[in-house]
Amino acid sequence: MESAKTDEKLQMFFDGELTPEEEAAMRRDLERSSEGKAQIREWEQIREAMQSVSTEWAGAIDSDALFARIEAELGASAVEEPVQQTPPVLRVVPGGRERRVWGAVATGFAAAAAIFLAVMAWPAEQAPPGVGMARGSEVLEVDFGANAGTIFNVEGGAGESLAVIWIDDQEVGMP
Amino acid sequence: MTVSRRLLLIALSAGTLLSAAPLSAQTTSLVRSDREQTAKVPAEVLVVLAKEDEGKIDPQLKNLTALRRPPFNSFRSMEILSRPKLSLTPGKDAIVTLPNGRRLKLTLLRVMPDGRYKVRAAINRPNKSDYLPLLQVVASAGDPFFVAGQSYQGGTLVVGVTVDPKKKTAQ
Repeated sequence: MESAKTDEKLQMFFDGELTPEEEAAMRRDLERSSEGKAQIREWEQIREAMQSVSTEWAGAIDSDALFARIEAELGASAVEEPVQQTPPVLRVVPGGRERRVWGAVATGFAAAAAIFLAVMAWPAEQAPPGVGMARGSEVLEVDFGANAGTIFNVEGGAGESLAVIWIDDQEVGMP
Repeated sequence: MTVSRRLLLIALSAGTLLSAAPLSAQTTSLVRSDREQTAKVPAEVLVVLAKEDEGKIDPQLKNLTALRRPPFNSFRSMEILSRPKLSLTPGKDAIVTLPNGRRLKLTLLRVMPDGRYKVRAAINRPNKSDYLPLLQVVASAGDPFFVAGQSYQGGTLVVGVTVDPKKKTAQ
């Protein structure tokens, strides 16, 4: 645990992440022993080596050319190439199915016609006139002549509407 | 067979079926109508003298609830003067002489498709048109129509006409 802390502190020391006071204290501790001094030298060599490598790489890389290539690739990817869609596969409907569809339509028409026939013909044969049909009586046309008249609708015993024509007149004698 | 030919065939078949349906029904109706147009139809004329004076209501009128409702409810007595039975032949006049000398002329014009009867009525003195020149009604079998208002012997005549009275299902 203590060793891990020391290694972490050493790492921070060589990375330059310690405060000046901590760095000075760490350096004093390391320089007290030959082992510490060797560590300092070893880390300094590594740091110098990395710095020299990065300097060499930075010199070798043509940054302008690199950015131009990156931009070119970014631009190319922004304009997407049209997706090659596979055309839908057309299928020929077999004639048997078509016949079934039209057969169903024809059957529907026939059924409708049969129902229509039944509705039209059934009441004429089954229901006698006046039974289960319109009830009551109503005035279609009236001529009161020279008299005053009124048309009433009176409710019958079964709730039917019965027509009443009321005409006032003077009493007439026998002819 | 192409689709269009099939369509044409189906349309023709459906058209034939649908046009044949009303034709068949019409034929049935015509046969029935012809039979009924020539048949005699019974009818009944109820002649009632109604008065506002207190009196008796004829017991035969108790089932005729319409006579207890407006405009008849002001009458306190009702007497049946006559109740002639007729036989109406389509297109032919049937005459009933009323107590005041006027004549009620009834004509069965036709039987309607719904079974009701179309009837023409007139009430006048002979060779006159002094009271009711023309009335046309449609009435169901057994359901009366009324003509009221003629003054007679201090009261009012109420004339009820019922076509095919035996077929009445309810009063």
